[in-house]
Amino acid sequence: MTPDDKALAGEYALGLLEGEAKAMAERRLAADPGFAREVEQWRARFAEFDDATAPQPAGDELWRRIEADMPRAAVAIGPSAWTRFWNNLAALRVTALGASLAALVLAVGLGFAIKAARQQPVMIAVLLDGNRAGAVVHTFADGRAVLLPLTAINVPEGKALEVWTLPSRERGPVSVGLMNQARTLRLSLKDLPALRTDQLFEITLEPATGSPTGRPTGPVLFKGNAALAL
Amino acid sequence: MTGSAQDNATEAQVAAAIARCAAGDRTALRVIYDLEAGRMIGVARRMLRRQDLAEEAVQETFMRVWRAARSFDPQKGAARTWLYTVLRNCALSILRDEGRFIADDDRAEEAAPATENALAHLPEASALRRCLERLDAERRAVVVLAYVHGLSHGELAGKLGVPLGTVKSWVRRSLISLQECMG
Repeated sequence: MTPDDKALAGEYALGLLEGEAKAMAERRLAADPGFAREVEQWRARFAEFDDATAPQPAGDELWRRIEADMPRAAVAIGPSAWTRFWNNLAALRVTALGASLAALVLAVGLGFAIKAARQQPVMIAVLLDGNRAGAVVHTFADGRAVLLPLTAINVPEGKALEVWTLPSRERGPVSVGLMNQARTLRLSLKDLPALRTDQLFEITLEPATGSPTGRPTGPVLFKGNAALAL
Repeated sequence: MTGSAQDNATEAQVAAAIARCAAGDRTALRVIYDLEAGRMIGVARRMLRRQDLAEEAVQETFMRVWRAARSFDPQKGAARTWLYTVLRNCALSILRDEGRFIADDDRAEEAAPATENALAHLPEASALRRCLERLDAERRAVVVLAYVHGLSHGELAGKLGVPLGTVKSWVRRSLISLQECMG
Protein backbone atom coordinates (compact mmCIF):
# COMPACT_ATOMS: atom_id res chain seq x y z
CA MET A 1 0.00 0.00 0.00
CA THR A 2 1.43 3.37 -1.00
CA PRO A 3 0.69 6.47 1.10
CA ASP A 4 -1.74 7.48 -1.67
CA ASP A 5 -3.58 4.15 -1.38
CA LYS A 6 -3.87 4.67 2.35
CA ALA A 7 -5.17 8.20 1.84
CA LEU A 8 -7.71 6.88 -0.67
CA ALA A 9 -8.88 4.35 1.93
CA GLY A 10 -9.25 7.25 4.37
CA GLU A 11 -11.25 9.33 1.90
CA TYR A 12 -13.55 6.38 1.37
CA ALA A 13 -13.99 5.88 5.12
CA LEU A 14 -14.80 9.59 5.50
CA GLY A 15 -17.55 9.28 2.88
CA LEU A 16 -15.91 11.84 0.59
CA LEU A 17 -15.78 9.72 -2.56
CA GLU A 18 -18.69 10.07 -4.95
CA GLY A 19 -19.74 8.67 -8.30
CA GLU A 20 -17.21 6.58 -10.20
CA ALA A 21 -14.44 7.17 -7.62
CA LYS A 22 -16.70 5.69 -4.93
CA ALA A 23 -17.74 2.76 -7.13
CA MET A 24 -14.07 2.01 -7.88
CA ALA A 25 -13.16 2.10 -4.19
CA GLU A 26 -16.05 -0.26 -3.41
CA ARG A 27 -14.90 -2.72 -6.04
CA ARG A 28 -11.39 -2.54 -4.65
CA LEU A 29 -12.71 -3.00 -1.11
CA ALA A 30 -14.34 -6.26 -2.21
CA ALA A 31 -11.33 -7.52 -4.17
CA ASP A 32 -8.23 -6.28 -2.33
CA PRO A 33 -7.84 -7.45 1.31
CA GLY A 34 -4.94 -5.01 1.89
CA PHE A 35 -7.10 -2.07 0.89
CA ALA A 36 -10.00 -3.43 2.98
CA ARG A 37 -7.69 -3.53 6.01
CA GLU A 38 -6.72 0.11 5.47
CA VAL A 39 -10.37 1.16 5.24
CA GLU A 40 -11.16 -0.79 8.41
CA GLN A 41 -8.22 0.85 10.19
CA TRP A 42 -9.46 4.33 9.28
CA ARG A 43 -12.97 3.45 10.43
CA ALA A 44 -11.62 2.26 13.77
CA ARG A 45 -9.55 5.45 14.15
CA PHE A 46 -12.41 7.82 13.36
CA ALA A 47 -14.80 5.77 15.52
CA GLU A 48 -13.38 7.72 18.46
CA PHE A 49 -15.56 10.61 17.34
CA ASP A 50 -18.63 8.36 17.55
CA ASP A 51 -17.66 7.05 20.97
CA ALA A 52 -17.22 10.65 22.13
CA THR A 53 -20.70 11.67 20.94
CA ALA A 54 -23.28 12.00 23.71
CA PRO A 55 -26.13 9.48 23.50
CA GLN A 56 -29.67 10.81 23.03
CA PRO A 57 -32.80 9.30 24.54
CA ALA A 58 -33.95 6.28 22.52
CA GLY A 59 -37.53 5.52 23.43
CA ASP A 60 -39.93 2.70 22.76
CA GLU A 61 -41.63 4.68 19.98
CA LEU A 62 -38.64 4.33 17.65
CA TRP A 63 -38.30 0.67 18.58
CA ARG A 64 -41.98 0.08 17.73
CA ARG A 65 -41.41 1.59 14.30
CA ILE A 66 -38.39 -0.66 13.73
CA GLU A 67 -40.39 -3.68 14.84
CA ALA A 68 -43.31 -2.73 12.59
CA ASP A 69 -40.88 -2.67 9.66
CA MET A 70 -39.50 -6.13 10.35
CA PRO A 71 -41.89 -8.18 8.22
CA ARG A 72 -40.38 -6.55 5.16
CA ALA A 73 -36.87 -6.24 6.57
CA ALA A 74 -35.75 -9.44 4.92
CA VAL A 75 -35.80 -7.75 1.56
CA ALA A 76 -35.91 -4.07 2.49
CA ILE A 77 -33.54 -1.33 1.49
CA GLY A 78 -33.44 2.39 1.73
CA PRO A 79 -32.67 5.66 0.03
CA SER A 80 -29.42 5.85 -1.88
CA ALA A 81 -27.79 7.45 -4.86
CA TRP A 82 -30.11 5.16 -6.80
CA THR A 83 -33.10 7.15 -5.66
CA ARG A 84 -31.93 9.81 -8.07
CA PHE A 85 -32.37 7.37 -10.93
CA TRP A 86 -35.66 5.98 -9.64
CA ASN A 87 -36.91 9.50 -9.08
CA ASN A 88 -36.11 10.50 -12.60
CA LEU A 89 -39.59 10.27 -14.05
CA ALA A 90 -38.49 11.01 -17.58
CA ALA A 91 -36.13 8.04 -17.56
CA LEU A 92 -38.83 5.83 -16.10
CA ARG A 93 -41.36 6.85 -18.74
CA VAL A 94 -39.00 6.14 -21.61
CA THR A 95 -38.15 2.76 -20.11
CA ALA A 96 -41.82 2.04 -19.51
CA LEU A 97 -42.74 2.81 -23.09
CA GLY A 98 -40.00 0.62 -24.52
CA ALA A 99 -40.75 -2.20 -22.15
CA SER A 100 -44.49 -2.02 -22.76
CA LEU A 101 -43.99 -2.42 -26.50
CA ALA A 102 -41.59 -5.29 -25.98
CA ALA A 103 -43.95 -6.82 -23.44
CA LEU A 104 -46.76 -6.77 -25.99
CA VAL A 105 -44.63 -8.55 -28.56
CA LEU A 106 -43.29 -11.08 -26.12
CA ALA A 107 -46.52 -11.65 -24.27
CA VAL A 108 -48.09 -12.93 -27.50
CA GLY A 109 -45.26 -15.42 -27.94
CA LEU A 110 -45.28 -16.39 -24.31
CA GLY A 111 -49.00 -17.03 -24.45
CA PHE A 112 -48.44 -20.36 -26.15
CA ALA A 113 -45.90 -21.58 -23.64
CA ILE A 114 -48.09 -20.51 -20.79
CA LYS A 115 -51.20 -22.18 -22.14
CA ALA A 116 -49.17 -25.33 -22.47
CA ALA A 117 -48.25 -25.07 -18.83
CA ARG A 118 -51.87 -24.26 -17.90
CA GLN A 119 -50.69 -21.29 -15.88
CA GLN A 120 -52.15 -17.88 -16.43
CA PRO A 121 -49.69 -15.11 -15.65
CA VAL A 122 -51.21 -11.93 -14.32
CA MET A 123 -48.37 -9.59 -15.13
CA ILE A 124 -45.30 -9.78 -17.32
CA ALA A 125 -42.17 -7.66 -17.30
CA VAL A 126 -39.66 -7.88 -20.12
CA LEU A 127 -36.19 -6.82 -19.03
CA LEU A 128 -34.21 -5.14 -21.78
CA ASP A 129 -30.70 -3.99 -22.49
CA GLY A 130 -31.39 -1.29 -25.05
CA ASN A 131 -33.48 -3.24 -27.57
CA ARG A 132 -32.31 -6.69 -26.58
CA ALA A 133 -34.61 -8.69 -24.29
CA GLY A 134 -32.51 -10.36 -21.59
CA ALA A 135 -35.14 -11.92 -19.36
CA VAL A 136 -38.85 -11.97 -18.63
CA VAL A 137 -40.58 -11.92 -15.25
CA HIS A 138 -44.03 -13.40 -14.95
CA THR A 139 -46.23 -13.37 -11.95
CA PHE A 140 -49.21 -15.64 -11.30
CA ALA A 141 -52.49 -15.20 -9.50
CA ASP A 142 -51.31 -17.39 -6.64
CA GLY A 143 -48.50 -14.93 -5.89
CA ARG A 144 -45.68 -16.89 -7.48
CA ALA A 145 -43.24 -15.00 -9.67
CA VAL A 146 -40.60 -16.47 -11.96
CA LEU A 147 -37.75 -14.95 -13.93
CA LEU A 148 -36.86 -16.67 -17.22
CA PRO A 149 -33.64 -15.73 -18.99
CA LEU A 150 -34.02 -15.17 -22.74
CA THR A 151 -30.34 -14.87 -23.54
CA ALA A 152 -26.98 -16.00 -22.18
CA ILE A 153 -25.63 -13.54 -19.61
CA ASN A 154 -21.92 -13.45 -18.94
CA VAL A 155 -21.28 -13.52 -15.17
CA PRO A 156 -17.61 -12.96 -14.19
CA GLU A 157 -15.98 -15.09 -11.50
CA GLY A 158 -16.97 -13.98 -8.00
CA LYS A 159 -20.05 -12.14 -9.27
CA ALA A 160 -23.76 -12.84 -9.31
CA LEU A 161 -26.91 -11.54 -10.94
CA GLU A 162 -29.27 -9.82 -8.50
CA VAL A 163 -32.89 -9.10 -9.39
CA TRP A 164 -34.54 -5.95 -8.00
CA THR A 165 -37.94 -4.38 -8.10
CA LEU A 166 -39.24 -0.96 -7.15
CA PRO A 167 -42.57 -1.30 -5.30
CA SER A 168 -42.63 2.47 -4.75
CA ARG A 169 -40.22 5.35 -5.02
CA GLU A 170 -40.55 6.05 -1.30
CA ARG A 171 -39.40 2.56 -0.48
CA GLY A 172 -36.68 2.27 -3.09
CA PRO A 173 -35.34 -0.84 -4.84
CA VAL A 174 -35.89 -4.21 -3.14
CA SER A 175 -33.86 -7.35 -3.83
CA VAL A 176 -36.07 -10.24 -4.94
CA GLY A 177 -33.57 -12.80 -6.15
CA LEU A 178 -29.93 -13.74 -6.59
CA MET A 179 -28.31 -16.25 -8.96
CA ASN A 180 -24.76 -17.04 -10.01
CA GLN A 181 -25.76 -17.67 -13.64
CA ALA A 182 -28.69 -16.94 -15.92
CA ARG A 183 -31.33 -19.54 -15.08
CA THR A 184 -35.03 -19.81 -14.28
CA LEU A 185 -35.41 -18.23 -10.86
CA ARG A 186 -38.31 -18.10 -8.43
CA LEU A 187 -38.61 -14.52 -7.15
CA SER A 188 -39.61 -13.64 -3.61
CA LEU A 189 -42.35 -11.04 -4.05
CA LYS A 190 -44.53 -12.40 -1.25
CA ASP A 191 -43.68 -9.75 1.34
CA LEU A 192 -44.19 -6.92 -1.14
CA PRO A 193 -47.32 -4.95 -2.00
CA ALA A 194 -49.32 -6.21 -5.00
CA LEU A 195 -47.50 -5.68 -8.26
CA ARG A 196 -48.46 -2.47 -10.08
CA THR A 197 -48.59 -1.87 -13.83
CA ASP A 198 -45.29 -0.27 -14.84
CA GLN A 199 -43.52 -1.48 -11.70
CA LEU A 200 -39.81 -1.53 -12.49
CA PHE A 201 -37.67 -4.68 -12.45
CA GLU A 202 -33.97 -4.84 -13.13
CA ILE A 203 -30.95 -7.13 -13.00
CA THR A 204 -27.62 -5.81 -11.73
CA LEU A 205 -24.18 -7.39 -11.47
CA GLU A 206 -23.24 -7.77 -7.79
CA PRO A 207 -20.70 -9.63 -5.62
CA ALA A 208 -21.34 -13.40 -5.45
CA THR A 209 -23.13 -13.10 -2.09
CA GLY A 210 -25.37 -10.28 -3.29
CA SER A 211 -25.15 -6.53 -2.86
CA PRO A 212 -23.27 -5.75 0.38
CA THR A 213 -25.41 -2.67 0.98
CA GLY A 214 -28.85 -4.09 0.31
CA ARG A 215 -29.31 -1.80 -2.66
CA PRO A 216 -28.02 -2.07 -6.23
CA THR A 217 -24.29 -1.28 -6.43
CA GLY A 218 -23.24 -2.81 -9.74
CA PRO A 219 -24.08 -1.97 -13.35
CA VAL A 220 -27.68 -2.47 -14.54
CA LEU A 221 -27.69 -5.26 -17.14
CA PHE A 222 -31.40 -5.39 -17.97
CA LYS A 223 -34.46 -3.49 -16.89
CA GLY A 224 -38.13 -3.27 -17.74
CA ASN A 225 -41.60 -2.57 -16.39
CA ALA A 226 -44.49 -4.83 -15.54
CA ALA A 227 -47.46 -4.94 -17.91
CA LEU A 228 -50.74 -6.85 -17.79
CA ALA A 229 -50.45 -10.16 -19.62
CA LEU A 230 -52.55 -10.51 -22.77
CA MET B 1 -12.90 0.96 19.17
CA THR B 2 -10.75 -0.10 22.05
CA GLY B 3 -10.62 0.95 25.65
CA SER B 4 -12.07 -0.03 28.97
CA ALA B 5 -13.34 -3.41 30.09
CA GLN B 6 -16.84 -1.96 29.78
CA ASP B 7 -16.20 -1.12 26.10
CA ASN B 8 -14.85 -4.61 25.49
CA ALA B 9 -17.92 -6.16 27.11
CA THR B 10 -20.24 -4.04 24.94
CA GLU B 11 -18.28 -4.97 21.83
CA ALA B 12 -18.62 -8.67 22.68
CA GLN B 13 -22.38 -8.27 23.31
CA VAL B 14 -22.92 -6.46 20.01
CA ALA B 15 -20.85 -9.06 18.13
CA ALA B 16 -22.89 -11.88 19.69
CA ALA B 17 -26.16 -10.10 18.88
CA ILE B 18 -25.17 -9.63 15.22
CA ALA B 19 -24.35 -13.34 15.03
CA ARG B 20 -27.82 -14.13 16.44
CA CYS B 21 -29.42 -11.79 13.88
CA ALA B 22 -27.57 -13.70 11.15
CA ALA B 23 -29.14 -16.87 12.53
CA GLY B 24 -32.60 -15.29 12.28
CA ASP B 25 -33.14 -14.40 15.95
CA ARG B 26 -35.11 -11.16 16.03
CA THR B 27 -34.79 -10.68 19.79
CA ALA B 28 -31.09 -10.01 19.18
CA LEU B 29 -32.01 -6.82 17.34
CA ARG B 30 -33.58 -5.47 20.54
CA VAL B 31 -30.32 -6.25 22.37
CA ILE B 32 -28.45 -4.03 19.90
CA TYR B 33 -31.13 -1.36 20.29
CA ASP B 34 -30.80 -1.35 24.07
CA LEU B 35 -27.02 -1.21 23.91
CA GLU B 36 -26.47 1.28 21.10
CA ALA B 37 -29.60 3.11 19.89
CA GLY B 38 -29.00 6.14 22.12
CA ARG B 39 -25.51 6.72 20.81
CA MET B 40 -26.64 5.91 17.27
CA ILE B 41 -29.25 8.69 17.48
CA GLY B 42 -26.56 11.02 18.83
CA VAL B 43 -24.21 10.22 15.93
CA ALA B 44 -26.98 10.53 13.34
CA ARG B 45 -28.12 13.88 14.81
CA ARG B 46 -24.54 15.14 14.70
CA MET B 47 -24.62 14.56 10.92
CA LEU B 48 -28.27 15.22 10.04
CA ARG B 49 -29.11 17.85 12.71
CA ARG B 50 -32.79 16.96 12.71
CA GLN B 51 -34.30 14.48 15.16
CA ASP B 52 -36.74 13.05 12.61
CA LEU B 53 -34.00 12.40 10.04
CA ALA B 54 -31.71 10.97 12.74
CA GLU B 55 -34.42 8.51 13.76
CA GLU B 56 -35.05 7.64 10.12
CA ALA B 57 -31.35 6.83 9.69
CA VAL B 58 -31.34 4.68 12.83
CA GLN B 59 -34.49 2.84 11.74
CA GLU B 60 -32.97 2.19 8.32
CA THR B 61 -29.75 1.00 9.98
CA PHE B 62 -31.62 -1.65 11.98
CA MET B 63 -33.29 -2.86 8.78
CA ARG B 64 -29.94 -3.18 7.06
CA VAL B 65 -28.29 -4.80 10.08
CA TRP B 66 -31.01 -7.44 10.13
CA ARG B 67 -30.73 -8.01 6.43
CA ALA B 68 -26.91 -7.91 6.16
CA ALA B 69 -25.96 -9.53 9.49
CA ARG B 70 -24.63 -12.57 7.64
CA SER B 71 -22.17 -10.38 5.76
CA PHE B 72 -20.52 -9.22 9.00
CA ASP B 73 -17.13 -10.92 9.33
CA PRO B 74 -15.56 -10.65 12.81
CA GLN B 75 -12.19 -11.54 11.25
CA LYS B 76 -12.23 -8.28 9.33
CA GLY B 77 -13.25 -5.78 11.96
CA ALA B 78 -15.07 -4.91 15.16
CA ALA B 79 -18.83 -5.35 15.43
CA ARG B 80 -19.49 -1.82 16.68
CA THR B 81 -17.35 -0.35 13.89
CA TRP B 82 -19.48 -2.31 11.42
CA LEU B 83 -22.70 -1.11 13.07
CA TYR B 84 -21.61 2.54 12.94
CA THR B 85 -20.39 2.16 9.35
CA VAL B 86 -23.89 1.02 8.37
CA LEU B 87 -25.35 3.97 10.30
CA ARG B 88 -22.90 6.39 8.69
CA ASN B 89 -23.84 5.13 5.20
CA CYS B 90 -27.55 5.58 5.98
CA ALA B 91 -26.98 9.11 7.28
CA LEU B 92 -24.79 10.04 4.29
CA SER B 93 -27.45 8.69 1.90
CA ILE B 94 -29.98 11.05 3.47
CA LEU B 95 -27.48 13.95 3.50
CA ARG B 96 -26.47 13.47 -0.13
CA ASP B 97 -30.02 12.92 -1.39
CA GLU B 98 -30.52 15.95 -3.59
CA GLY B 99 -34.27 15.70 -3.21
CA ARG B 100 -34.06 16.52 0.50
CA PHE B 101 -33.81 19.91 2.03
CA ILE B 102 -31.95 19.68 5.30
CA ALA B 103 -32.72 23.04 6.78
CA ASP B 104 -30.64 24.15 9.69
CA ASP B 105 -28.60 27.01 10.91
CA ASP B 106 -25.89 24.84 12.38
CA ARG B 107 -24.44 23.94 9.00
CA ALA B 108 -23.53 27.61 8.66
CA GLU B 109 -21.45 27.29 11.84
CA GLU B 110 -17.87 28.51 11.35
CA ALA B 111 -15.36 25.82 10.48
CA ALA B 112 -12.83 26.57 13.22
CA PRO B 113 -15.13 26.46 16.28
CA ALA B 114 -16.97 23.42 14.89
CA THR B 115 -13.65 21.58 14.50
CA GLU B 116 -12.30 22.56 17.92
CA ASN B 117 -15.59 21.60 19.55
CA ALA B 118 -15.41 18.12 18.03
CA LEU B 119 -11.77 17.69 19.06
CA ALA B 120 -12.51 18.86 22.60
CA HIS B 121 -14.85 15.90 23.06
CA LEU B 122 -12.10 13.38 22.32
CA PRO B 123 -10.26 11.94 25.34
CA GLU B 124 -7.08 13.79 26.38
CA ALA B 125 -5.01 10.67 25.71
CA SER B 126 -6.48 10.11 22.24
CA ALA B 127 -3.87 9.51 19.53
CA LEU B 128 -6.40 10.76 16.95
CA ARG B 129 -6.70 14.05 18.86
CA ARG B 130 -2.95 14.43 19.29
CA CYS B 131 -2.27 13.75 15.60
CA LEU B 132 -5.08 16.03 14.38
CA GLU B 133 -3.79 18.84 16.61
CA ARG B 134 -0.43 18.63 14.83
CA LEU B 135 -2.05 19.64 11.53
CA ASP B 136 -2.64 23.25 10.41
CA ALA B 137 -6.10 24.47 11.43
CA GLU B 138 -7.68 24.34 7.97
CA ARG B 139 -6.18 20.96 7.12
CA ARG B 140 -7.46 19.64 10.42
CA ALA B 141 -10.91 21.11 9.72
CA VAL B 142 -11.46 19.31 6.40
CA VAL B 143 -10.96 15.87 7.95
CA VAL B 144 -12.88 16.55 11.15
CA LEU B 145 -15.88 18.19 9.44
CA ALA B 146 -16.06 15.48 6.78
CA TYR B 147 -16.30 12.82 9.47
CA VAL B 148 -18.19 14.53 12.26
CA HIS B 149 -20.78 16.41 10.19
CA GLY B 150 -20.60 14.40 6.96
CA LEU B 151 -19.63 17.40 4.81
CA SER B 152 -18.82 16.68 1.15
CA HIS B 153 -15.81 18.08 -0.75
CA GLY B 154 -18.09 20.79 -2.18
CA GLU B 155 -19.51 21.74 1.21
CA LEU B 156 -16.03 21.90 2.71
CA ALA B 157 -14.91 24.18 -0.13
CA GLY B 158 -17.90 26.46 0.50
CA LYS B 159 -17.38 26.57 4.24
CA LEU B 160 -13.65 27.28 4.03
CA GLY B 161 -13.93 29.60 1.03
CA VAL B 162 -11.34 27.77 -1.08
CA PRO B 163 -11.51 26.00 -4.47
CA LEU B 164 -12.60 22.36 -4.65
CA GLY B 165 -9.15 21.25 -5.83
CA THR B 166 -7.57 22.83 -2.76
CA VAL B 167 -9.94 20.98 -0.44
CA LYS B 168 -9.22 17.66 -2.16
CA SER B 169 -5.48 18.23 -1.88
CA TRP B 170 -5.76 19.24 1.80
CA VAL B 171 -7.78 16.12 2.60
CA ARG B 172 -5.22 13.82 0.97
CA ARG B 173 -2.23 15.49 2.62
CA SER B 174 -3.96 15.52 5.99
CA LEU B 175 -4.76 11.82 5.71
CA ILE B 176 -1.16 11.00 4.76
CA SER B 177 0.12 12.99 7.78
CA LEU B 178 -2.45 11.37 10.07
CA GLN B 179 -1.54 7.92 8.81
CA GLU B 180 2.16 8.55 9.55
CA CYS B 181 1.42 10.01 12.96
CA MET B 182 -0.96 7.26 14.08
CA GLY B 183 1.15 4.44 12.61
